[in-house]
Amino acid sequence: MHETTILQVEGLVTEFKSERGIVNAVNKVSFDLERGQTLGIVGESGSGKSVTNLSILRLIEYPPGRITGGKVLFHDQDLLSVSENEMLSIRGKHISMIFQDPLTSLNPVIKVWKQIAETLMLHQGMKKQEAKKQAIELLRIIGIPDPEMRAECYPHQFSGGMRQRVMIAMALSCNPDILIADEPTTALDVTIQAQILDLIREKKEQYQTSVIMITHDLGVIAEMCDQVCVMYAGRIVERAGVEALFGSPKHPYTRGLLESIPRMGNVGTQRLHSIKGSPPDLANLPPGCPFRDRCDKAMDICASQLPPEVVLQEAEGERTVACWLYPQEGKHGRA
Amino acid sequence: MKTPRIVRNKIALAGLIVILLYVLMSIVSLFWLPFNPVAMNSAEVLQGPSLASGHLFGTDEFGRDVLSRIMKGTSVSFIISVSATALGAVIGIFMGVWAGYLGGKTDNAIMRFADILFAFPSLLLAIFIMAILGEHTYNVVLAIGIVYIPQFARISRGSIIALKGNEFIRAAKSNGAGRTYILRHHLLPNITAPLIVQISLSLSTAILLESALSFLGLGVQPPDPSWGNMLSSARKVMMFAPWTAIYPGLAIVLLVLGFNLLGDGLRDILDPRLRNVR
Amino acid sequence: MGKYIVKRLLSLIPVLIGVSLIVFFMVRLIPGSALQMYMGTQVEATPEQMEQLKRLFGEDKPIPVLYIEWVGDIMRGDFGYSLRTGRPVLPDILSRLPISLELTLYSLVLALLIGIPLGILSSLKQDTFGDFLNRIIGLIGLSLPQFWLAALMVIAFSSSQGWIPMGNYVSLFENPLQNLKMFFLPSLAIGFGFAAVVMRYTRNSMLEVLQMDYVRTAKAKGLPKRKVIIIHALKNAILPVITVTGFNAGYLLGGSIVIEEVFALPGMGRLALYAINQRDYPVIQAIMLVIASLFVLVNLVTDLVYAMADPRIRLVDEEK
Repeated sequence: MHETTILQVEGLVTEFKSERGIVNAVNKVSFDLERGQTLGIVGESGSGKSVTNLSILRLIEYPPGRITGGKVLFHDQDLLSVSENEMLSIRGKHISMIFQDPLTSLNPVIKVWKQIAETLMLHQGMKKQEAKKQAIELLRIIGIPDPEMRAECYPHQFSGGMRQRVMIAMALSCNPDILIADEPTTALDVTIQAQILDLIREKKEQYQTSVIMITHDLGVIAEMCDQVCVMYAGRIVERAGVEALFGSPKHPYTRGLLESIPRMGNVGTQRLHSIKGSPPDLANLPPGCPFRDRCDKAMDICASQLPPEVVLQEAEGERTVACWLYPQEGKHGRA
Repeated sequence: MKTPRIVRNKIALAGLIVILLYVLMSIVSLFWLPFNPVAMNSAEVLQGPSLASGHLFGTDEFGRDVLSRIMKGTSVSFIISVSATALGAVIGIFMGVWAGYLGGKTDNAIMRFADILFAFPSLLLAIFIMAILGEHTYNVVLAIGIVYIPQFARISRGSIIALKGNEFIRAAKSNGAGRTYILRHHLLPNITAPLIVQISLSLSTAILLESALSFLGLGVQPPDPSWGNMLSSARKVMMFAPWTAIYPGLAIVLLVLGFNLLGDGLRDILDPRLRNVR
Repeated sequence: MGKYIVKRLLSLIPVLIGVSLIVFFMVRLIPGSALQMYMGTQVEATPEQMEQLKRLFGEDKPIPVLYIEWVGDIMRGDFGYSLRTGRPVLPDILSRLPISLELTLYSLVLALLIGIPLGILSSLKQDTFGDFLNRIIGLIGLSLPQFWLAALMVIAFSSSQGWIPMGNYVSLFENPLQNLKMFFLPSLAIGFGFAAVVMRYTRNSMLEVLQMDYVRTAKAKGLPKRKVIIIHALKNAILPVITVTGFNAGYLLGGSIVIEEVFALPGMGRLALYAINQRDYPVIQAIMLVIASLFVLVNLVTDLVYAMADPRIRLVDEEK
């Protein structure tokens, strides 16, 4: 663990019991989050990116879900082995989350200020009136006009963008070390998306917060992140700095993703690439690389053995990829 | 992810088995009963349940065999609850479908009428209808049937209105299908699921309503045995002959439970969206 | 909220008019011969009784006029006279109303106190044996006739001092403790089935709410489980329970009538049964009207409570 590493996830495994058997939604996932950094996790729906982050906060419902392996090191503490009570004082205070749909993520029958003040009273020991004042102040900071009046409103009286602002105010209320943003703009109008991303970036810099940005939108990654993890079928298949990843993607899946984004220069002249096939059934994964059926570079070995993570040294720094195209000339990464 | 579906099916099955046992008991009672259910026998008044005397559930204050009377009462309960439910369902569904399909003023008039009937608690409405019509078995059917009309009307109207907006109805219309055709081929088949559940629950409530009316002396009149009037006459003697009150009550509880289990199971099997409806 | 209340109050008027029409015409459905037979048994009718009969069946006036006169009388608080005793009906009803109301409210409170916690518990232990047992007991609760449960209670508790009222009624104001003790079993008999309904609704509604995103948000905030459930989940899960409570208030009110009979409590139910046995139609008419109006009122109160609990309802209405 480096000096600057604030969160280290190692070999995280989360499984779900389903009618068709046990599903490894997250399968030996490892990554580091540096202080002040924004780490992007990108992947299709069902690739395990949300489950990874819910696992960090231990918000997986049991049954059906269960974290069965790995470590989540935060301030030299393994979050997977601390007591539930200690976990309570980490959620919302040191690590907080915002979610995809701000309408359903806010409680419809509780006034907006109360939902924010609740966190303040819980973690900062504030009294009700003090917390209310602070909640209104947070609403102002986050860009809600006329916050005294709006504080008395209920979530359904806000627009989608405003609701997400409220969520952000709530998440930042205790000045957390880490903010996990799970598809924070997916449910919003395009014009609002940029505002919310700007807001997250601004507050991140202001409060020196580290951010984990979960998204399926490579545009968001390009705009927001320093480091990127690409997830596929519960695993991280490639990890690199944002420029390295966009500049020279290594894993065939990452390449496919990048080629499927329309670019201004290409419009009308070139057909968009799409990745053939669909993600594999996690309930019964065949041996070997889970991407091989959709991969145009698949080789014999891909069908029998799972590719380990390989560390590649480049001028911009270290990166890893899990693919048999990159023989293990260098040292092994974490398998 | 879970296994409740099997459990729920088991629940429906358990209900069905209970109901079938009662049907069997009711058929048997037409041909054979342990004792004559109406013949009084002053020598055997208020005997406790015993194997030796053959009175498994004891005798009542007139020396009549409680088990025989319960068996005889089964047919009464079935006939009343089935005919009352049929009456309420036929009229209520007709009104509800009519209101929902035509909409506008017809709908408004019918549903206001249903609202007004809803303003009377069901047992009270039944009691008052009995008070007006006079105590007779036929009138019990009528009273419970009337109580059921607005319930069936409301459910069928709601389902029809929900269906009317669907694409496939509009598609049928644009293909030139007539009103009756759409009604018969598209609307009615699609509202059966909630109605079947409602019918099953109505059958159970009818048994409770009938027994309450008979208990109050407003339903089936002695000496004809019904579970309700058996309990009514048991009130005078139940302190020292509790079996006269316990067994007829158990007969009610088990059959009603059977219908409730069936209704609960059917609801989960037929339409999971209805889970929250009672 | 003010606007909402006014709107709901106005919507009651047509229902109340409809109720009065039904009550008015239902009594008129009684075959005239039955009435003559009844009058034949009455050796000497007092002038008040004759007048009352004329009011009920007056052949000299057209029916619409009779109806309007009848409604007018009721508005002035004149519910007519008993055919049997010749006394005015209203004071008799008013003196018995508190007993029926207390039974209804008491049973409602008991049902909610039993049903909501068990429902929550069942939802938290979904699909365990305890949950299964809870649901089965709930279904049995739905299947128990109230009067039979009451009868069993009478048999079981007859020797316990003060639990079974049986003729020695004490009002809430005379001796609250003794009154609450004596009303406990009757209210439990009325409310037990409803407790089962409340439990089932609370369970299903909690199961739905516990899946919601805002519950996850509350957990992500670091709220302890107890607070997540009580503050965030229950506040939402209670909404359908409020609706079903309003819907079933009539079941409790109706139950109180039968149960008063079993426990010999001098409430409206006993008055109603007595009147029915005696064919005392003015009394029957008045009780029907009072109970239906009460039920309509309860539904209004339910709607208001719902609007208070769910800001989405009340604010949408205000913005219009």
